[in-house]
Amino acid sequence: MSVRARPTSPHLQIYRWTITMAMSILHRATGIANYAGMSLLVIWLVAAAVGQGPLDQVNAIYGSWFGQLVLFGFTWSLVHHMCGGIRHFIWDFAVMMEPGQRSTMAWATLVASITITLLVWTVFVWVK
Amino acid sequence: MREPLITKDTIANPRTHYGSASASTRRFITQRTTGAINIAFLGMLLFLVIRLAGEERMDVVALVGNPWIGLPLAFLIGIVATHMRNGMRDTLEDYLHGRMYSLVMMLNSLFCLLIAVAGIGAVLKLVFWG
Repeated sequence: MSVRARPTSPHLQIYRWTITMAMSILHRATGIANYAGMSLLVIWLVAAAVGQGPLDQVNAIYGSWFGQLVLFGFTWSLVHHMCGGIRHFIWDFAVMMEPGQRSTMAWATLVASITITLLVWTVFVWVK
Repeated sequence: MREPLITKDTIANPRTHYGSASASTRRFITQRTTGAINIAFLGMLLFLVIRLAGEERMDVVALVGNPWIGLPLAFLIGIVATHMRNGMRDTLEDYLHGRMYSLVMMLNSLFCLLIAVAGIGAVLKLVFWG
């Protein structure tokens, strides 16, 4: 006789995903990513301060395909967190909180962050 | 026994100690202020990385070593570290309590201090000693 699977407690998966919920989670997730990512900037600056040897090593890692992938993700994470922060500044004035408005603004955050990131990388990295 | 119902009045009453009574408002304002300043930091970061990615140490010294760029950068790194510590505190308060919270919060403070000291130290070294 097979044993019936134990019921699991309802958690995130029982909710219908909404864009505002997704952007709320992304704001925290990108915040944590930025927290970790700041060490990339500091490692680069410290290497530059120490000497040409360490800087060459850091440049080689950051310039590799994996390094570029991480830096692309870090760029988007920073830009997205900034857009989310601006959204919070708008809310601080107690506006744009109605159902239609808040989901419009949540979508706008995502569209803006992706657009800005692609624009920065296209203009300054890929086409340069 | 049921948990007592938390109402708006419960939270608004300082005697119930929801959140830090002495510091919550300050932390909120700190987070918004540092967040606004971080927009400038992101602009500066993109400017520096676009100009200096993969470049020689000499070029880094020429750009970051310029006090008009290096000193604001050092200041902005300090602001970022403050924002990081405050933001991570928000997250930790949601999931950890008691001694575990205090311990992880201490690690949070140490990490942010390390980022600030190493980042600002490296920039000041580039500005004043090349």
